[in-house]
Amino acid sequence: MRNLIIFLRRYFNFFLFLLLEVICLVLVFQNNDFQKTAYLNSANNISARLYERYNNVEYYFHLKATNDSLVKENARLHNMLRTSFDTVILDNIVKNDTMRQYGTDTTRRVISTSVRRYLYKAAKVVNNSVTNPINYITIHRGSADGIRPNMGVVGPSGVVGIVRSVNEHYAVVLSLLSKGRNFGTSARLAHGKEMGMVRWHGGEAGYATMEDVPKSVHLVKGDTVVTSGYSAFFPENIPIGYVESTEEVDKASTSFNIRIRLATNFYNLQYVYVIDNLLQDEQKSLEDSTYKLIKQ
Amino acid sequence: MSILLRNIIRFVLLLLLQVFVLNRILLHQSISFNLYLLFVLLLPFNLPRPALMLLALLMGLSLDMFMNTMGMHAAACVFIAYLRPFIINVLSPQGGFETTQKTPSMTSMGVSQFLIYASILVFLHNLVFFSLEVFNVGSFLYLLLKIVFSTAASIFLIVLYELLFFSRK
Repeated sequence: MRNLIIFLRRYFNFFLFLLLEVICLVLVFQNNDFQKTAYLNSANNISARLYERYNNVEYYFHLKATNDSLVKENARLHNMLRTSFDTVILDNIVKNDTMRQYGTDTTRRVISTSVRRYLYKAAKVVNNSVTNPINYITIHRGSADGIRPNMGVVGPSGVVGIVRSVNEHYAVVLSLLSKGRNFGTSARLAHGKEMGMVRWHGGEAGYATMEDVPKSVHLVKGDTVVTSGYSAFFPENIPIGYVESTEEVDKASTSFNIRIRLATNFYNLQYVYVIDNLLQDEQKSLEDSTYKLIKQ
Repeated sequence: MSILLRNIIRFVLLLLLQVFVLNRILLHQSISFNLYLLFVLLLPFNLPRPALMLLALLMGLSLDMFMNTMGMHAAACVFIAYLRPFIINVLSPQGGFETTQKTPSMTSMGVSQFLIYASILVFLHNLVFFSLEVFNVGSFLYLLLKIVFSTAASIFLIVLYELLFFSRK
């Protein structure tokens, strides 16, 4: 026993070193579990406030660019307002938030009723990075504004990411610029209608790859890649990027990898919109109960 | 200025500089400027090792908090804090460094000694940090390039810092 104590005392430094390193490594490998460690990330009070102050200064220098993008975005929204509504044919559904479409003839009958499916909430970006293998964006909107984890986030011109953890007034968004398997979103070509998966593989912040596109695709350079609407995070037809060129991975494979130029400029992101899918729970519970039925 | 006060100021200053200036510089994806570890390098000679490691942990975790990297900077910082006394022992002449100045610097250690000291520790730091960050054996070449370039960039910054803040006596 005495020898053991002497041994421990002699190598105290080394054991302390091992202990601290183990603590650090546990933190590193736990960091997928965002909800648990939310107090130690950039959404906590000290760092988020500091970031906000810094951003207040920096924001001023981007006013012009921000204005331009807001005007463009307004124009786009005016054109696309109806795409965030879901058409329902039944007459006897009563919902708080609906949109009616009237016929153009003189009787002006109601020809269809739509139910709100997506709700957009504007949020100010207070911190953003583009250089790391996994990039995060901190936004000034939190659980107090109804933000929950796993909500889609879009910018003025396209997809930005997904909310990962939420504080009372801030939220951390996992950016589209997250390497490999950390982030992937289901996508579709606007003209060809072929499906694929958009992933970022590190490197420049302006480019990503659309994977697993069938070889039968007719590629047009500059074709828009949009969200497919199959994931519950994003509505259909939100731009992700534009086709730049194809990379042939290997001749034997049956799919293309397409290099795309991202629609969102991650270098000067100032405002984003968090998308609340009001029918997400409904869709999810239906899908889950179906999977259970099949398993039995 | 007392050594304690000087180190506290250096802690805050380096943290802010790292978060708000250096992390926003985009030169190339494989070059990142790490200056914050200078805090660990410049702690006094006579600081006991446990204190050295705990201070390094504090610095690392504070930076992790801003960068959302959770433990990566801390692991690398603790690693170099543990190895620091070995390196200093190897580099010090017979009977230790002269004790007129209590912290490592170009004047107390000599220019070449200090550069070797800084290079070894910065390299080890970047080795641990980028290995954790990239965490992929497949991109070995990329990792190697990143470590080498970032080490060069950090040493350049450290030399600049030394020339700015230390008067030659």
